[in-house]
Amino acid sequence: MKNKDVSARTGRSLLSRIFTLRNMAVTFLVVYFAIFLAYPIYKAFAGSLHNWNPLNETYDWVGFENYKDILTDKLFWTSMGNTAVFLGWSTVFRVVIGLGLALLLSSRLVYAKDTLRGLFYMPTITPLVAVSFVWLWMFDPQFGMIDKVTGLNINWLHDSKWAMPAVIIMTIWKDFGYATVLYLAGLMNLPRDVYEAAEIDGANSVQIFFRITLPLLKSTTLFIVITSMISYLQAYVQFLVMTEGGPGTSTYTISYLIFDQAFNKNNFGVASAQAVVLFIFTAILTLIMFKISGDTEGLA
Amino acid sequence: MNKKTAGSRIGSIVLTVFLFVVAAITIVPFLWMFISSFAPNSEIVKINGGLFPAPTTLDNYVSIQENFNFFRLFANSLFVASVKTIIIIYTSALMGFVFSKMRFFGRDFLFGIVMSTMMIPWAVTIIPQYEMMVQFGWLDSYKALIIPGMISGFGIFLFRQSISGISDELIEAARLDGASDTRIFHSLILPLSHNTIAALAIFTFLWNWEDYLWPFLMITDESKQLLAVGLKAFNGQYGTDYGGLFAATSLAIVPVIIVYVIFQKQFIAGIATGSSK
Repeated sequence: MKNKDVSARTGRSLLSRIFTLRNMAVTFLVVYFAIFLAYPIYKAFAGSLHNWNPLNETYDWVGFENYKDILTDKLFWTSMGNTAVFLGWSTVFRVVIGLGLALLLSSRLVYAKDTLRGLFYMPTITPLVAVSFVWLWMFDPQFGMIDKVTGLNINWLHDSKWAMPAVIIMTIWKDFGYATVLYLAGLMNLPRDVYEAAEIDGANSVQIFFRITLPLLKSTTLFIVITSMISYLQAYVQFLVMTEGGPGTSTYTISYLIFDQAFNKNNFGVASAQAVVLFIFTAILTLIMFKISGDTEGLA
Repeated sequence: MNKKTAGSRIGSIVLTVFLFVVAAITIVPFLWMFISSFAPNSEIVKINGGLFPAPTTLDNYVSIQENFNFFRLFANSLFVASVKTIIIIYTSALMGFVFSKMRFFGRDFLFGIVMSTMMIPWAVTIIPQYEMMVQFGWLDSYKALIIPGMISGFGIFLFRQSISGISDELIEAARLDGASDTRIFHSLILPLSHNTIAALAIFTFLWNWEDYLWPFLMITDESKQLLAVGLKAFNGQYGTDYGGLFAATSLAIVPVIIVYVIFQKQFIAGIATGSSK
Protein backbone atom coordinates (compact mmCIF):
# COMPACT_ATOMS: atom_id res chain seq x y z
CA MET A 1 0.00 0.00 0.00
CA LYS A 2 2.90 2.31 0.62
CA ASN A 3 3.01 5.28 -1.74
CA LYS A 4 -0.06 4.12 -3.65
CA ASP A 5 -1.99 7.00 -5.09
CA VAL A 6 -5.59 7.87 -4.52
CA SER A 7 -6.10 7.48 -8.25
CA ALA A 8 -5.63 3.75 -7.85
CA ARG A 9 -8.69 3.52 -5.68
CA THR A 10 -11.98 2.50 -7.14
CA GLY A 11 -15.32 4.20 -6.89
CA ARG A 12 -14.08 7.59 -8.03
CA SER A 13 -15.19 9.54 -11.02
CA LEU A 14 -12.76 10.05 -13.87
CA LEU A 15 -12.66 13.76 -13.16
CA SER A 16 -11.61 13.39 -9.56
CA ARG A 17 -9.01 10.86 -10.62
CA ILE A 18 -7.45 13.36 -13.02
CA PHE A 19 -7.61 16.39 -10.77
CA THR A 20 -5.78 14.92 -7.83
CA LEU A 21 -3.61 17.06 -5.60
CA ARG A 22 -0.59 15.30 -7.00
CA ASN A 23 -1.43 15.86 -10.65
CA MET A 24 -2.26 19.51 -10.14
CA ALA A 25 0.89 20.16 -8.12
CA VAL A 26 3.14 18.44 -10.65
CA THR A 27 1.48 20.17 -13.60
CA PHE A 28 1.85 23.53 -11.89
CA LEU A 29 5.53 22.87 -11.24
CA VAL A 30 6.24 21.74 -14.80
CA VAL A 31 4.44 24.72 -16.33
CA TYR A 32 6.15 27.09 -13.93
CA PHE A 33 9.58 25.67 -14.77
CA ALA A 34 8.87 25.83 -18.50
CA ILE A 35 8.01 29.54 -18.31
CA PHE A 36 10.36 30.86 -15.65
CA LEU A 37 13.30 28.49 -15.98
CA ALA A 38 13.57 26.56 -19.26
CA TYR A 39 12.60 29.44 -21.54
CA PRO A 40 14.92 31.98 -19.82
CA ILE A 41 17.83 29.55 -19.98
CA TYR A 42 17.19 28.91 -23.67
CA LYS A 43 16.86 32.63 -24.23
CA ALA A 44 20.12 33.35 -22.40
CA PHE A 45 21.97 30.90 -24.64
CA ALA A 46 20.28 32.27 -27.76
CA GLY A 47 20.83 35.86 -26.67
CA SER A 48 24.52 35.24 -26.10
CA LEU A 49 24.82 34.63 -29.86
CA HIS A 50 23.24 37.97 -30.72
CA ASN A 51 24.10 41.61 -30.55
CA TRP A 52 21.29 42.38 -28.13
CA ASN A 53 20.48 45.83 -26.85
CA PRO A 54 17.01 46.58 -25.48
CA LEU A 55 17.41 50.35 -25.69
CA ASN A 56 17.76 50.57 -29.47
CA GLU A 57 15.93 47.28 -29.98
CA THR A 58 18.74 45.47 -31.72
CA TYR A 59 18.79 41.70 -31.78
CA ASP A 60 21.17 40.67 -34.55
CA TRP A 61 22.84 37.32 -35.01
CA VAL A 62 26.59 37.52 -34.43
CA GLY A 63 27.49 33.88 -33.79
CA PHE A 64 30.25 33.43 -31.27
CA GLU A 65 31.43 37.03 -31.57
CA ASN A 66 30.35 37.88 -27.98
CA TYR A 67 32.30 34.93 -26.61
CA LYS A 68 35.36 35.92 -28.61
CA ASP A 69 35.01 39.45 -27.24
CA ILE A 70 34.74 38.50 -23.60
CA LEU A 71 37.52 35.92 -23.75
CA THR A 72 39.88 38.55 -25.14
CA ASP A 73 38.59 41.27 -22.79
CA LYS A 74 41.11 42.11 -20.10
CA LEU A 75 38.37 43.20 -17.68
CA PHE A 76 36.73 39.77 -17.94
CA TRP A 77 39.92 38.04 -16.85
CA THR A 78 40.57 40.63 -14.15
CA SER A 79 37.06 39.95 -12.86
CA MET A 80 37.62 36.20 -12.95
CA GLY A 81 40.84 36.66 -10.99
CA ASN A 82 39.15 38.92 -8.44
CA THR A 83 36.32 36.42 -8.13
CA ALA A 84 38.80 33.63 -7.44
CA VAL A 85 40.47 35.70 -4.70
CA PHE A 86 37.14 36.67 -3.17
CA LEU A 87 35.71 33.16 -3.36
CA GLY A 88 38.85 31.45 -2.11
CA TRP A 89 39.47 33.56 0.98
CA SER A 90 35.82 33.92 1.91
CA THR A 91 35.23 30.17 1.68
CA VAL A 92 38.40 29.19 3.55
CA PHE A 93 37.77 31.58 6.42
CA ARG A 94 34.11 30.67 6.59
CA VAL A 95 35.01 26.99 6.95
CA VAL A 96 37.92 27.50 9.37
CA ILE A 97 36.16 30.02 11.65
CA GLY A 98 32.91 28.08 11.44
CA LEU A 99 34.55 24.79 12.40
CA GLY A 100 36.77 26.38 15.06
CA LEU A 101 33.88 28.07 16.84
CA ALA A 102 31.69 24.98 16.51
CA LEU A 103 34.38 22.84 18.13
CA LEU A 104 34.72 25.31 21.00
CA LEU A 105 30.97 25.66 21.40
CA SER A 106 30.46 21.91 21.47
CA SER A 107 32.85 21.62 24.42
CA ARG A 108 31.20 20.61 27.68
CA LEU A 109 33.04 23.46 29.36
CA VAL A 110 31.17 26.30 27.69
CA TYR A 111 28.29 28.10 29.42
CA ALA A 112 25.36 29.77 27.61
CA LYS A 113 25.83 27.88 24.36
CA ASP A 114 22.48 28.80 22.89
CA THR A 115 23.02 32.52 23.48
CA LEU A 116 26.46 32.37 21.90
CA ARG A 117 25.23 30.42 18.90
CA GLY A 118 22.41 32.91 18.47
CA LEU A 119 24.83 35.84 18.52
CA PHE A 120 27.23 34.22 16.03
CA TYR A 121 24.36 33.58 13.68
CA MET A 122 22.98 37.10 13.83
CA PRO A 123 24.93 38.63 10.90
CA THR A 124 23.75 35.80 8.65
CA ILE A 125 20.09 36.71 9.08
CA THR A 126 20.47 40.44 8.52
CA PRO A 127 19.83 41.97 5.07
CA LEU A 128 22.93 42.19 2.91
CA VAL A 129 22.19 45.59 1.36
CA ALA A 130 21.82 47.13 4.81
CA VAL A 131 24.87 45.50 6.39
CA SER A 132 26.95 46.39 3.33
CA PHE A 133 26.17 50.00 4.15
CA VAL A 134 27.08 49.49 7.78
CA TRP A 135 30.46 48.14 6.71
CA LEU A 136 30.90 50.87 4.13
CA TRP A 137 30.78 53.28 7.08
CA MET A 138 32.78 50.97 9.35
CA PHE A 139 35.63 51.22 6.84
CA ASP A 140 35.38 55.00 6.52
CA PRO A 141 38.82 56.46 7.27
CA GLN A 142 37.36 59.51 9.03
CA PHE A 143 34.64 58.23 11.34
CA GLY A 144 34.65 54.47 10.71
CA MET A 145 35.24 52.11 13.56
CA ILE A 146 37.84 49.84 11.92
CA ASP A 147 40.64 52.39 11.75
CA LYS A 148 39.76 53.76 15.20
CA VAL A 149 39.94 50.35 16.85
CA THR A 150 42.98 49.01 15.03
CA GLY A 151 44.90 52.29 14.97
CA LEU A 152 45.55 51.70 11.27
CA ASN A 153 45.38 54.56 8.83
CA ILE A 154 44.02 52.83 5.75
CA ASN A 155 41.48 54.23 3.37
CA TRP A 156 40.14 50.73 2.87
CA LEU A 157 37.57 51.01 0.12
CA HIS A 158 39.44 53.66 -1.85
CA ASP A 159 42.74 51.86 -1.92
CA SER A 160 43.03 49.27 -4.68
CA LYS A 161 45.21 47.11 -2.44
CA TRP A 162 42.73 47.05 0.46
CA ALA A 163 39.29 47.27 -1.14
CA MET A 164 39.02 43.55 -1.87
CA PRO A 165 40.29 42.48 1.58
CA ALA A 166 37.74 44.86 3.12
CA VAL A 167 34.86 43.28 1.20
CA ILE A 168 36.17 39.81 2.07
CA ILE A 169 36.30 40.73 5.78
CA MET A 170 32.71 41.93 5.63
CA THR A 171 31.61 38.76 3.82
CA ILE A 172 33.36 36.48 6.31
CA TRP A 173 31.73 38.38 9.18
CA LYS A 174 28.34 38.00 7.51
CA ASP A 175 28.63 34.30 6.74
CA PHE A 176 30.72 32.43 9.31
CA GLY A 177 27.72 31.90 11.61
CA TYR A 178 25.99 29.74 9.05
CA ALA A 179 29.00 27.41 8.93
CA THR A 180 29.15 27.40 12.74
CA VAL A 181 25.53 26.27 13.04
CA LEU A 182 25.94 23.56 10.38
CA TYR A 183 29.14 22.23 11.97
CA LEU A 184 27.49 22.22 15.41
CA ALA A 185 24.68 20.08 13.99
CA GLY A 186 27.26 17.84 12.32
CA LEU A 187 29.26 17.48 15.56
CA MET A 188 26.13 16.57 17.50
CA ASN A 189 25.38 13.72 15.09
CA LEU A 190 28.81 12.12 15.43
CA PRO A 191 28.74 8.58 16.85
CA ARG A 192 29.93 8.55 20.48
CA ASP A 193 31.25 4.98 20.45
CA VAL A 194 33.93 5.79 17.87
CA TYR A 195 35.36 8.37 20.25
CA GLU A 196 35.25 6.02 23.20
CA ALA A 197 37.08 3.38 21.19
CA ALA A 198 39.71 5.91 20.11
CA GLU A 199 40.25 7.01 23.72
CA ILE A 200 40.65 3.42 24.86
CA ASP A 201 43.23 2.93 22.10
CA GLY A 202 45.12 5.91 23.54
CA ALA A 203 44.64 8.38 20.70
CA ASN A 204 45.40 11.98 21.65
CA SER A 205 43.05 14.83 20.87
CA VAL A 206 45.01 16.00 17.80
CA GLN A 207 44.86 12.49 16.33
CA ILE A 208 41.17 12.23 17.16
CA PHE A 209 40.46 15.52 15.43
CA PHE A 210 42.35 14.74 12.21
CA ARG A 211 41.63 11.01 12.01
CA ILE A 212 38.02 10.91 13.22
CA THR A 213 36.23 14.25 13.58
CA LEU A 214 37.38 15.86 10.35
CA PRO A 215 36.66 12.81 8.11
CA LEU A 216 33.26 12.33 9.73
CA LEU A 217 32.39 15.96 9.06
CA LYS A 218 33.27 15.57 5.39
CA SER A 219 29.71 15.83 4.12
CA THR A 220 29.07 18.97 6.21
CA THR A 221 32.28 20.53 4.91
CA LEU A 222 31.40 19.59 1.36
CA PHE A 223 27.96 21.12 1.74
CA ILE A 224 29.40 24.37 3.12
CA VAL A 225 32.13 24.59 0.47
CA ILE A 226 29.75 23.98 -2.42
CA THR A 227 27.05 26.35 -1.22
CA SER A 228 29.73 28.98 -0.47
CA MET A 229 31.27 28.67 -3.92
CA ILE A 230 27.92 28.90 -5.65
CA SER A 231 26.84 31.95 -3.68
CA TYR A 232 30.22 33.73 -3.85
CA LEU A 233 30.40 33.28 -7.61
CA GLN A 234 27.10 35.14 -7.70
CA ALA A 235 27.88 37.83 -5.12
CA TYR A 236 27.33 41.38 -6.31
CA VAL A 237 25.43 43.31 -3.61
CA GLN A 238 28.43 44.00 -1.38
CA PHE A 239 30.40 45.19 -4.41
CA LEU A 240 27.57 47.33 -5.68
CA VAL A 241 27.17 49.03 -2.31
CA MET A 242 30.74 49.18 -1.05
CA THR A 243 32.99 49.63 -4.10
CA GLU A 244 31.10 49.65 -7.42
CA GLY A 245 33.94 47.54 -8.77
CA GLY A 246 36.58 50.12 -7.88
CA PRO A 247 38.95 51.63 -7.20
CA GLY A 248 39.82 51.13 -10.86
CA THR A 249 38.81 47.56 -11.59
CA SER A 250 40.22 46.07 -8.39
CA THR A 251 36.91 44.72 -7.11
CA TYR A 252 35.17 43.80 -10.35
CA THR A 253 33.90 40.26 -9.94
CA ILE A 254 32.22 38.16 -12.58
CA SER A 255 28.70 38.75 -11.26
CA TYR A 256 29.24 42.47 -10.76
CA LEU A 257 30.64 42.62 -14.31
CA ILE A 258 27.50 40.95 -15.67
CA PHE A 259 25.30 43.35 -13.70
CA ASP A 260 27.32 46.27 -15.05
CA GLN A 261 27.24 45.04 -18.68
CA ALA A 262 23.55 44.26 -18.62
CA PHE A 263 21.98 47.04 -16.61
CA ASN A 264 24.45 49.94 -16.77
CA LYS A 265 25.66 49.43 -20.34
CA ASN A 266 22.65 47.59 -21.82
CA ASN A 267 24.85 45.02 -23.57
CA PHE A 268 22.43 42.14 -23.04
CA GLY A 269 24.21 39.93 -25.59
CA VAL A 270 27.64 40.27 -24.00
CA ALA A 271 26.17 39.94 -20.51
CA SER A 272 24.35 36.76 -21.57
CA ALA A 273 27.57 35.29 -22.94
CA GLN A 274 29.30 36.10 -19.65
CA ALA A 275 26.39 34.55 -17.75
CA VAL A 276 26.66 31.37 -19.83
CA VAL A 277 30.38 31.18 -19.07
CA LEU A 278 29.61 31.65 -15.36
CA PHE A 279 26.94 28.96 -15.57
CA ILE A 280 29.33 26.44 -17.14
CA PHE A 281 32.00 27.41 -14.66
CA THR A 282 29.66 26.87 -11.70
CA ALA A 283 28.58 23.48 -13.03
CA ILE A 284 32.19 22.33 -13.57
CA LEU A 285 33.29 23.50 -10.11
CA THR A 286 30.39 21.69 -8.47
CA LEU A 287 31.16 18.48 -10.36
CA ILE A 288 34.84 18.69 -9.44
CA MET A 289 33.96 19.14 -5.78
CA PHE A 290 31.81 16.02 -5.87
CA LYS A 291 34.54 14.08 -7.70
CA ILE A 292 37.28 15.15 -5.27
CA SER A 293 35.24 14.08 -2.31
CA GLY A 294 34.04 10.92 -4.00
CA ASP A 295 30.78 11.56 -2.25
CA THR A 296 27.64 12.32 -4.18
CA GLU A 297 25.38 12.29 -1.15
CA GLY A 298 26.52 15.61 0.24
CA LEU A 299 23.63 17.55 -1.20
CA ALA A 300 20.85 15.02 -1.44
CA MET B 1 28.88 18.55 35.86
CA ASN B 2 29.30 17.74 39.52
CA LYS B 3 32.72 16.25 38.96
CA LYS B 4 34.18 19.49 37.72
CA THR B 5 37.54 20.25 39.27
CA ALA B 6 38.78 23.74 40.04
CA GLY B 7 41.00 23.50 36.96
CA SER B 8 38.21 22.69 34.59
CA ARG B 9 36.06 25.42 36.11
CA ILE B 10 38.76 27.97 35.29
CA GLY B 11 39.07 26.51 31.81
CA SER B 12 35.35 26.77 31.49
CA ILE B 13 35.28 30.43 32.43
CA VAL B 14 38.22 31.30 30.16
CA LEU B 15 36.63 29.54 27.21
CA THR B 16 33.22 31.10 27.79
CA VAL B 17 34.70 34.58 28.18
CA PHE B 18 36.70 34.10 25.00
CA LEU B 19 33.60 33.08 23.06
CA PHE B 20 31.66 36.05 24.43
CA VAL B 21 34.45 38.36 23.26
CA VAL B 22 34.16 36.87 19.76
CA ALA B 23 30.37 37.29 19.98
CA ALA B 24 30.80 40.92 21.05
CA ILE B 25 33.05 41.57 18.04
CA THR B 26 30.38 39.96 15.88
CA ILE B 27 27.58 42.25 17.00
CA VAL B 28 29.58 45.45 17.46
CA PRO B 29 28.75 46.71 13.93
CA PHE B 30 25.04 46.54 14.81
CA LEU B 31 25.56 48.37 18.08
CA TRP B 32 27.66 51.01 16.39
CA MET B 33 25.03 51.55 13.71
CA PHE B 34 22.19 51.66 16.21
CA ILE B 35 23.90 54.06 18.62
CA SER B 36 25.05 56.29 15.77
CA SER B 37 21.49 56.53 14.49
CA PHE B 38 20.66 58.60 17.59
CA ALA B 39 23.58 60.99 17.12
CA PRO B 40 23.55 64.26 15.18
CA ASN B 41 25.52 64.15 11.95
CA SER B 42 28.16 66.57 13.24
CA GLU B 43 28.84 64.21 16.13
CA ILE B 44 29.20 61.18 13.84
CA VAL B 45 31.72 62.70 11.44
CA LYS B 46 33.67 64.50 14.16
CA ILE B 47 37.39 63.92 13.70
CA ASN B 48 38.97 62.29 16.75
CA GLY B 49 35.56 61.40 18.13
CA GLY B 50 35.20 58.39 20.42
CA LEU B 51 34.38 54.89 19.20
CA PHE B 52 30.67 55.47 19.60
CA PRO B 53 29.14 58.90 18.99
CA ALA B 54 26.99 60.13 21.88
CA PRO B 55 23.32 59.30 21.27
CA THR B 56 21.40 62.48 22.01
CA THR B 57 18.64 62.92 19.43
CA LEU B 58 15.70 61.38 17.63
CA ASP B 59 15.92 63.84 14.74
CA ASN B 60 17.38 61.29 12.35
CA TYR B 61 14.31 59.14 12.64
CA VAL B 62 12.00 62.07 12.18
CA SER B 63 13.79 63.33 9.10
CA ILE B 64 13.97 60.00 7.23
CA GLN B 65 10.21 59.96 6.90
CA GLU B 66 10.22 63.50 5.50
CA ASN B 67 13.20 63.08 3.20
CA PHE B 68 12.57 59.64 2.00
CA ASN B 69 8.99 58.49 2.64
CA PHE B 70 10.64 55.74 4.60
CA PHE B 71 7.61 54.07 6.11
CA ARG B 72 5.94 53.73 2.73
CA LEU B 73 8.92 51.75 1.44
CA PHE B 74 9.01 49.80 4.66
CA ALA B 75 5.34 48.87 4.29
CA ASN B 76 5.86 47.92 0.62
CA SER B 77 8.72 45.59 1.54
CA LEU B 78 6.72 44.12 4.38
CA PHE B 79 3.80 43.43 2.07
CA VAL B 80 5.79 41.88 -0.80
CA ALA B 81 8.03 39.83 1.47
CA SER B 82 5.05 38.53 3.48
CA VAL B 83 2.99 37.55 0.44
CA LYS B 84 5.95 35.79 -1.15
CA THR B 85 6.79 34.02 2.07
CA ILE B 86 3.26 32.65 2.44
CA ILE B 87 3.14 31.49 -1.19
CA ILE B 88 6.58 29.89 -1.07
CA ILE B 89 5.84 28.09 2.21
CA TYR B 90 2.67 26.68 0.70
CA THR B 91 4.15 25.61 -2.66
CA SER B 92 7.29 24.22 -1.01
CA ALA B 93 5.33 22.17 1.52
CA LEU B 94 3.00 20.89 -1.17
CA MET B 95 5.81 19.93 -3.53
CA GLY B 96 7.80 18.49 -0.65
CA PHE B 97 4.82 16.29 0.20
CA VAL B 98 4.37 15.20 -3.41
CA PHE B 99 8.06 14.44 -3.90
CA SER B 100 8.49 12.55 -0.66
CA LYS B 101 5.25 10.59 -0.40
CA MET B 102 3.94 10.03 -3.92
CA ARG B 103 5.09 8.32 -7.05
CA PHE B 104 4.70 9.60 -10.56
CA PHE B 105 6.39 9.37 -13.91
CA GLY B 106 9.63 11.37 -14.03
CA ARG B 107 9.67 12.14 -10.31
CA ASP B 108 13.40 11.79 -9.79
CA PHE B 109 14.16 13.72 -12.95
CA LEU B 110 11.88 16.57 -11.88
CA PHE B 111 13.41 16.62 -8.43
CA GLY B 112 16.84 16.78 -10.07
CA ILE B 113 15.68 19.93 -11.83
CA VAL B 114 14.40 21.36 -8.54
CA MET B 115 17.84 20.76 -7.00
CA SER B 116 19.69 22.19 -9.99
CA THR B 117 17.74 25.47 -9.72
CA MET B 118 19.79 26.19 -6.60
CA MET B 119 22.94 26.08 -8.70
CA ILE B 120 21.84 28.24 -11.62
CA PRO B 121 23.30 31.75 -11.31
CA TRP B 122 20.80 34.60 -11.22
CA ALA B 123 22.80 36.15 -14.04
CA VAL B 124 21.63 33.46 -16.47
CA THR B 125 17.88 33.91 -16.07
CA ILE B 126 17.57 37.54 -15.06
CA ILE B 127 17.98 39.17 -18.47
CA PRO B 128 15.39 36.97 -20.23
CA GLN B 129 13.03 37.30 -17.27
CA TYR B 130 13.45 41.05 -17.37
CA GLU B 131 12.54 41.07 -21.06
CA MET B 132 9.61 38.77 -20.37
CA MET B 133 8.20 41.11 -17.71
CA VAL B 134 8.55 44.04 -20.11
CA GLN B 135 6.57 42.09 -22.72
CA PHE B 136 3.91 41.10 -20.19
CA GLY B 137 3.59 44.77 -19.25
CA TRP B 138 4.20 43.92 -15.60
CA LEU B 139 6.77 46.62 -14.89
CA ASP B 140 5.86 48.70 -11.85
CA SER B 141 3.48 46.00 -10.73
CA TYR B 142 3.94 43.65 -7.80
CA LYS B 143 2.91 40.81 -10.12
CA ALA B 144 6.42 41.03 -11.53
CA LEU B 145 7.90 40.63 -8.06
CA ILE B 146 5.61 37.87 -6.85
CA ILE B 147 4.68 35.59 -9.75
CA PRO B 148 8.16 34.65 -11.06
CA GLY B 149 9.21 33.90 -7.47
CA MET B 150 6.51 31.49 -6.35
CA ILE B 151 8.74 28.41 -6.27
CA SER B 152 11.84 27.88 -4.16
CA GLY B 153 14.14 24.94 -4.89
CA PHE B 154 15.62 25.30 -1.43
CA GLY B 155 12.15 25.27 0.13
CA ILE B 156 11.04 22.14 -1.73
CA PHE B 157 14.28 20.43 -0.75
CA LEU B 158 13.84 21.41 2.91
CA PHE B 159 10.24 20.14 3.05
CA ARG B 160 11.02 16.94 1.17
CA GLN B 161 13.65 16.20 3.82
CA SER B 162 11.35 16.86 6.76
CA ILE B 163 8.17 15.31 5.32
CA SER B 164 9.95 12.10 4.39
CA GLY B 165 10.48 11.74 8.15
CA ILE B 166 6.72 11.53 8.71
CA SER B 167 5.68 7.88 8.89
CA ASP B 168 3.85 6.31 5.95
CA GLU B 169 1.61 4.42 8.38
CA LEU B 170 0.21 7.69 9.70
CA ILE B 171 -0.67 8.86 6.19
CA GLU B 172 -2.08 5.44 5.32
CA ALA B 173 -4.26 5.47 8.44
CA ALA B 174 -5.67 8.86 7.47
CA ARG B 175 -6.37 7.54 3.99
CA LEU B 176 -8.22 4.53 5.37
CA ASP B 177 -10.34 6.94 7.38
CA GLY B 178 -11.37 8.42 4.07
CA ALA B 179 -9.23 11.56 4.04
CA SER B 180 -8.30 12.85 0.61
CA ASP B 181 -4.71 13.83 -0.22
CA THR B 182 -5.75 17.47 -0.05
CA ARG B 183 -7.16 16.90 3.42
CA ILE B 184 -4.09 14.93 4.52
CA PHE B 185 -1.83 17.70 3.35
CA HIS B 186 -3.69 20.48 5.11
CA SER B 187 -4.61 18.84 8.38
CA LEU B 188 -1.77 16.38 8.87
CA ILE B 189 1.36 17.31 6.93
CA LEU B 190 1.28 21.09 7.43
CA PRO B 191 0.77 21.00 11.22
CA LEU B 192 3.51 18.40 11.59
CA SER B 193 5.93 20.58 9.63
CA HIS B 194 5.88 23.60 11.93
CA ASN B 195 9.65 23.64 12.48
CA THR B 196 10.39 23.59 8.78
CA ILE B 197 7.74 26.24 8.21
CA ALA B 198 9.35 28.50 10.82
CA ALA B 199 12.83 28.03 9.38
CA LEU B 200 11.82 28.53 5.78
CA ALA B 201 9.59 31.48 6.70
CA ILE B 202 12.47 33.42 8.23
CA PHE B 203 14.83 32.56 5.38
CA THR B 204 12.33 33.40 2.66
CA PHE B 205 11.23 36.59 4.36
CA LEU B 206 14.83 37.67 4.72
CA TRP B 207 15.78 36.86 1.14
CA ASN B 208 12.88 38.88 -0.14
CA TRP B 209 13.42 41.66 2.35
CA GLU B 210 17.01 42.05 1.16
CA ASP B 211 16.48 41.32 -2.53
CA TYR B 212 17.91 44.20 -4.48
CA LEU B 213 18.33 43.58 -8.19
CA TRP B 214 14.90 42.29 -9.18
CA PRO B 215 12.85 45.07 -7.54
CA PHE B 216 15.44 47.57 -8.78
CA LEU B 217 14.75 46.40 -12.34
CA MET B 218 11.00 45.97 -12.04
CA ILE B 219 9.89 48.98 -10.02
CA THR B 220 10.57 52.55 -11.11
CA ASP B 221 7.64 54.25 -9.36
CA GLU B 222 9.12 55.64 -6.14
CA SER B 223 5.97 55.11 -4.11
CA LYS B 224 5.97 51.39 -5.02
CA GLN B 225 9.68 50.87 -4.45
CA LEU B 226 11.01 48.44 -1.85
CA LEU B 227 13.25 49.26 1.07
CA ALA B 228 16.51 47.65 -0.09
CA VAL B 229 16.46 49.61 -3.35
CA GLY B 230 15.32 52.73 -1.53
CA LEU B 231 18.23 52.52 0.90
CA LYS B 232 20.70 52.61 -1.97
CA ALA B 233 18.87 55.45 -3.67
CA PHE B 234 18.70 57.33 -0.37
CA ASN B 235 22.42 56.89 0.04
CA GLY B 236 22.99 58.39 -3.40
CA GLN B 237 20.77 61.38 -2.64
CA TYR B 238 21.71 62.14 0.94
CA GLY B 239 25.20 60.65 0.88
CA THR B 240 26.53 62.83 3.67
CA ASP B 241 23.54 62.77 6.03
CA TYR B 242 25.05 59.88 7.96
CA GLY B 243 22.65 60.27 10.85
CA GLY B 244 19.68 59.75 8.55
CA LEU B 245 21.39 56.87 6.77
CA PHE B 246 22.16 55.14 10.06
CA ALA B 247 18.56 55.55 11.15
CA ALA B 248 17.19 54.17 7.88
CA THR B 249 19.61 51.25 7.93
CA SER B 250 18.77 50.49 11.56
CA LEU B 251 15.11 50.31 10.68
CA ALA B 252 15.90 47.93 7.84
CA ILE B 253 17.88 45.63 10.11
CA VAL B 254 16.36 45.79 13.59
CA PRO B 255 12.93 44.26 12.72
CA VAL B 256 14.71 41.26 11.20
CA ILE B 257 16.77 40.84 14.37
CA ILE B 258 13.64 41.02 16.53
CA VAL B 259 11.88 38.33 14.46
CA TYR B 260 15.02 36.24 14.61
CA VAL B 261 15.34 36.50 18.39
CA ILE B 262 11.71 35.41 18.81
CA PHE B 263 11.94 32.39 16.48
CA GLN B 264 15.58 31.52 17.02
CA LYS B 265 14.98 27.99 18.33
CA GLN B 266 12.80 26.69 15.48
CA PHE B 267 14.97 28.51 13.04
CA ILE B 268 18.26 26.89 13.99
CA ALA B 269 16.57 23.49 14.38
CA GLY B 270 15.12 23.89 10.89
CA ILE B 271 18.33 24.70 9.03
CA ALA B 272 20.29 22.09 10.92
CA THR B 273 17.93 19.26 9.95
CA GLY B 274 17.62 20.54 6.40
CA SER B 275 21.27 20.50 5.52
CA SER B 276 23.02 18.00 7.76
CA LYS B 277 21.85 14.99 5.83
